[in-house]
Amino acid sequence: MLDLRTPTGWFFSILGVILLGLGVFAPGHASLTTLNVNLYSGLPILAFGCVMLFLSRSRS
Amino acid sequence: MCLSPWLPKPVCLSANSALHSPFPFQLGGLQGFRVKLAPVDYLILAIYFGFVLGIGWRLKRSVSSSGDFLTSGRSVPVWITSLAFLAANLGAQEVIGMSASGAKYGIMTAHFYWIGAVPAMLFVGIFMMPFYYGSRARSVPEFLKLRFDEKTRGLNAITFAVMTVFSSGVSMYALGLLLQLVLGWSFTASVLLSAAIVLVYTLLGGLTSAIYNEVLQFFLIVLGFTPLAILAVTKAGGWSGMQARLPEVMTHSWHNLSSASQNPMGVDAFGLVAGLGFTLSFGYWCTNFLVVQRAMAADSMSAARRTPLIAAFPKMAMPFIVILPGIAALVLAKMNVGYVLPMKGNTYDYDQVFTTLMAQFYPSGMLGVGLTALMASFMSGMAGNVTAFNTVWTYDIYQSYIKKNAPDEHYLKVGRMTTIVGTGLSIATAYVAQHYNNIMDILQLVFGFVNAPLLATFLLGMFWRRTTGHGAFTGLATGTSVAALTLSLTVAEGKGGWITSLHEFPSTMAQNFYIALLAFVSCFVVTVVVSLFTKPRPPEELRGLVYSLTKFPEETGVSWYRKPAPVAVLVIAMLLALNFWFR
Repeated sequence: MLDLRTPTGWFFSILGVILLGLGVFAPGHASLTTLNVNLYSGLPILAFGCVMLFLSRSRS
Repeated sequence: MCLSPWLPKPVCLSANSALHSPFPFQLGGLQGFRVKLAPVDYLILAIYFGFVLGIGWRLKRSVSSSGDFLTSGRSVPVWITSLAFLAANLGAQEVIGMSASGAKYGIMTAHFYWIGAVPAMLFVGIFMMPFYYGSRARSVPEFLKLRFDEKTRGLNAITFAVMTVFSSGVSMYALGLLLQLVLGWSFTASVLLSAAIVLVYTLLGGLTSAIYNEVLQFFLIVLGFTPLAILAVTKAGGWSGMQARLPEVMTHSWHNLSSASQNPMGVDAFGLVAGLGFTLSFGYWCTNFLVVQRAMAADSMSAARRTPLIAAFPKMAMPFIVILPGIAALVLAKMNVGYVLPMKGNTYDYDQVFTTLMAQFYPSGMLGVGLTALMASFMSGMAGNVTAFNTVWTYDIYQSYIKKNAPDEHYLKVGRMTTIVGTGLSIATAYVAQHYNNIMDILQLVFGFVNAPLLATFLLGMFWRRTTGHGAFTGLATGTSVAALTLSLTVAEGKGGWITSLHEFPSTMAQNFYIALLAFVSCFVVTVVVSLFTKPRPPEELRGLVYSLTKFPEETGVSWYRKPAPVAVLVIAMLLALNFWFR
């Protein structure tokens, strides 16, 4: 059966890359914060995606 | 919901729920709030839709029998069933409702998790799952048939089927209205698009597809909403800063429970613990097939027992993600940092607290992730309802009363057709809710009590071998009638009292808690009395169904974290620590 970690890993890796890309190349912030939210949120999301992919690969 | 119908729900379901702020200070208000999405936000939403449909497509080949489609063939790993157990209950209404409740009632809202969920999750894992899983029943109503009789199964199956369709429709309505209000999207387009996606992936891969997607949705909810909680709480000065700026009642969960008048929830400690912590919560988590179905899909008895226990860890942490932002919003509104509470007319619209925070803390990109997470929470809740509905309809109603002994392919076909029909009925319910708001509100209230008497039936059935089918059926019917009658004779916040008003509760929440208690007690008493006057089944027919006649599985030669009891002890220790910290 499908190893759920594979699509989960891909989904969050893609999401993380999009957010990191926005954070680096189009840094912007919302009205209530001056932080680069896309950059700081993108990093853990990308890391989570990579961990999931690593786990699915190491099992297979 | 499904939603647990007794949880705080979005005000969009009821004009009466938008109460005036209970706080002594005046806050500004924001009218007609709208969020604008950028193309990248739509791209993220599209990628998410692509993945959930892709998972359904990949799982299509693993469905070859009605068992695969409706019960996952009991083959799902424990980490997946655990997160799905949680996600099926984590609908969009819960996220929005809990955040709104946080802004309205403060940290007391966490009782819905720490008292109103976790202890019951431990109980179902430790004590009840051996009966559910060990009996080989395919559903909760089927377990009732094995333990009691056909009529008890029939009553539960029909009530549950109606309730799931209704809950799914109400949830769909709430989401459609929210997206219409916040994004300006068409109600019809939002409802049809999200329902169509859930329908397609459920139709393709059955329960397994729903469960797998629930896990993806759970991760998205956590990763999409956690940054918002961190940003909002940090901006509000951290927990100590929030405590300093808010009335004491908003930052303590136990201090103000000696009487109902001391806290904004309008409940006392007895009502909270006995009503919410016992009858409503145990009734929901221990007997509702929607959540129990996830554990029953596990690949072993040990995994089925550990499913609710493992789910208890993230459940304990959910208040930090969904409730704290609501409390932080109040502080931010008081700090004059540019955040104002959303308004509807001249009252605060707490339901929009979560989305307004998201729009003002998240730039394009994370805003797309946040809104996708909101859609995901709706989809996980709806898929939970649809998969529970199709199993109960196919096995407990169609196979039992309409067409027995047909080939398995026939039931697979019926399961698939039921998925389509169930989704259609949910959509129809969403439209009915749009036009007949008050009727839906009443129905939601009534369905909130269905599980309370059922808990008495299960507890007696599993732990007292003398309980009979006649006793169970009469008790259930009495308990539900008593709940409806009590609602007709009492009033709270202008609700109920359809016959007359004999008593007025300080809040609808207190009314819910006490009605559930009465329903439980009346069902319990009537079941015992009728059982004593009717003939019990012989012990040999009850093996594996009653505690005293069942040998519990022993977990030997495995690590402590694979044994239910030590995991439960760890959960209890953490639960006590949380309650002590936020006392």
